[in-house]
Amino acid sequence: MEFDLENPLPPSMDKFPSLFHIENEHMPSKTYLQALNSADSNLSIRREIVSSIFHLTRGIDPFSSYLATNYMDRFLSTHSIPDGKPWILKVVAISCISLALKMRKTEFSVSDLLDAGGFIVDFLTIERMEMLILGALKWRMRSVNPFSFANYFVTFFKSKDDSSIQALKNRAFAIILKAQNDVKLLEFKPSVISASALLIAAHELFPVQLPSFRDAICCCSYVNKANLVQCYDLMQDVAMERYESVLGIASSSCTPTNVLDPHCFSSSISSSQTNQSSETAGNAAGIGGLKRPKLEDFATDNSFQLSQNHQ
Amino acid sequence: MDKYEKLEKVGEGTYGKVYKAKEKATGQVVALKKTRLEMDEEGVPPTALREVSLLQMLSQSLYVVRLLCVEHVDNKNGKPLLYLVFEYLDTDLKKFIDSHRKGPNPRPLPPQLIQSFLYQLCKGVAHCHSHGVLHRDLKPQNLLLDKDKGILKIADLGLGRAFTVPLKSYTHEIVTLWYRAPEVLLGSTHYSTAVDMWSVGCIFAEMVRRQALFPGDSEFQQLLHIFRLLGTPTEKHWPGVSSLRDWHVYPQWEPQNLAPAVPSLGPDGVDLLSKMLKYDPAERISAKAARPSLLRQLG
Repeated sequence: MEFDLENPLPPSMDKFPSLFHIENEHMPSKTYLQALNSADSNLSIRREIVSSIFHLTRGIDPFSSYLATNYMDRFLSTHSIPDGKPWILKVVAISCISLALKMRKTEFSVSDLLDAGGFIVDFLTIERMEMLILGALKWRMRSVNPFSFANYFVTFFKSKDDSSIQALKNRAFAIILKAQNDVKLLEFKPSVISASALLIAAHELFPVQLPSFRDAICCCSYVNKANLVQCYDLMQDVAMERYESVLGIASSSCTPTNVLDPHCFSSSISSSQTNQSSETAGNAAGIGGLKRPKLEDFATDNSFQLSQNHQ
Repeated sequence: MDKYEKLEKVGEGTYGKVYKAKEKATGQVVALKKTRLEMDEEGVPPTALREVSLLQMLSQSLYVVRLLCVEHVDNKNGKPLLYLVFEYLDTDLKKFIDSHRKGPNPRPLPPQLIQSFLYQLCKGVAHCHSHGVLHRDLKPQNLLLDKDKGILKIADLGLGRAFTVPLKSYTHEIVTLWYRAPEVLLGSTHYSTAVDMWSVGCIFAEMVRRQALFPGDSEFQQLLHIFRLLGTPTEKHWPGVSSLRDWHVYPQWEPQNLAPAVPSLGPDGVDLLSKMLKYDPAERISAKAARPSLLRQLG
């Protein structure tokens, strides 16, 4: 059974409680996040690996690079990269991609990856690194991720119209993909990222339905409201700043040396797909007004108390 | 594998020998299962990766034997092999039932224990099914027990058995005959979660009887065993049965009363058993639906 990030388990509504229950096991560690925030060198290591992952997965679906990046963050949570061995960063990137593509059942070969990376290293090294990563992740390769919760949260969205729900999810997914670059967002649970992205997408695309959607999500006993408010605010910046979708980057002619470089983000607007999504987003911003929604506004609402007791 | 000291061979799993072993550093006793998953030129084989990670996710349940870790070793040819390291439990339901049938002190299994084991079995099966996985080889040997604590856990979830809904076709020959569902015996190519529930029913009856309910020694004999007790199935009770691939003309038996086959079982228990042994897979009770009635006294 191939791994579908949106459906880590086959269809069944029964699975959601267990997903909420185990999502913590699929997140980077707190100490890793502290290390990222305390030293620029750690941040630049992450940046470099992420950049390699994006570079090597150009033309492949963005979920695979998302998954590879999740593996990388969790791997670095237990293993630090020795100084003075920059080639290891590439080995980590290639191994994470290789594992992600195998999980996603994507046809590829490790040698193609190595070629694309312009990188001479033997298979055995990649294999060893794969095993090291699998051990560090305890073979928990079916990452519970923000996409996994989308089908749960959209059940709270009051629209029977499949195309609206799809549009909502598409926009939310684009935001989730971008959010992975922002290390400040790594501390939030996948479900909280998912809920925040959907709310931002709803604010942009379906402002009329937003209040009921927001209230329903906030009442959900699995969601810690304080975290949601915090994540939502941070994520808005991500959604506002760079409107281009990561999908656009993957298919654009721009071959960034570092995808986190803002220039590369702006140059990727050229792709038609990106144009379309920024148009939609622009319209939506018009409907919703320029006022940025604040999740704190929800705090006055009594309906949220339920969710707060749960954490 | 130097980390482990092999103590004894405890059985043959789906993928080869199973050893009881001790982790040298901690003294923890584990079950080591060698897999046939060899590494290839592309590193960890994708199937192994997907299946083991699924097993990993399933083994989060209390009612499924816990996968502790995965080890890899180089075999004689220098090829890395994967070993699955599971928690070790000292006995299984087959040995447990045997010890109540023969030996120095033959006696029935206490009804409350039967109920508790069946409840745990249904919890485990429901867990697997909710994760999209069929076991397809449930039998007393595959249900491990911690006798002292009264805990039952499902083992030997074979690899390569994940399914996605809608159901795909599967290859044949997977369930041990005695616990094999009639639709499998009749050549149905579409298996569903109901195949496991048939096995659960057979195991339930076996705990009560202390011997197998349908001990067939060939597929044909197996069907006759079933038909003699439950009646030869008809289109009325099981729509589509006569168009199954291996359907033939069988002797016509009328359904018998189940109760005499499970003499010490109360009416609620017999009722639950009959729901697990429904011919039509679509009508067979699900693991999830079976649990509430198990919280009631079965008598």
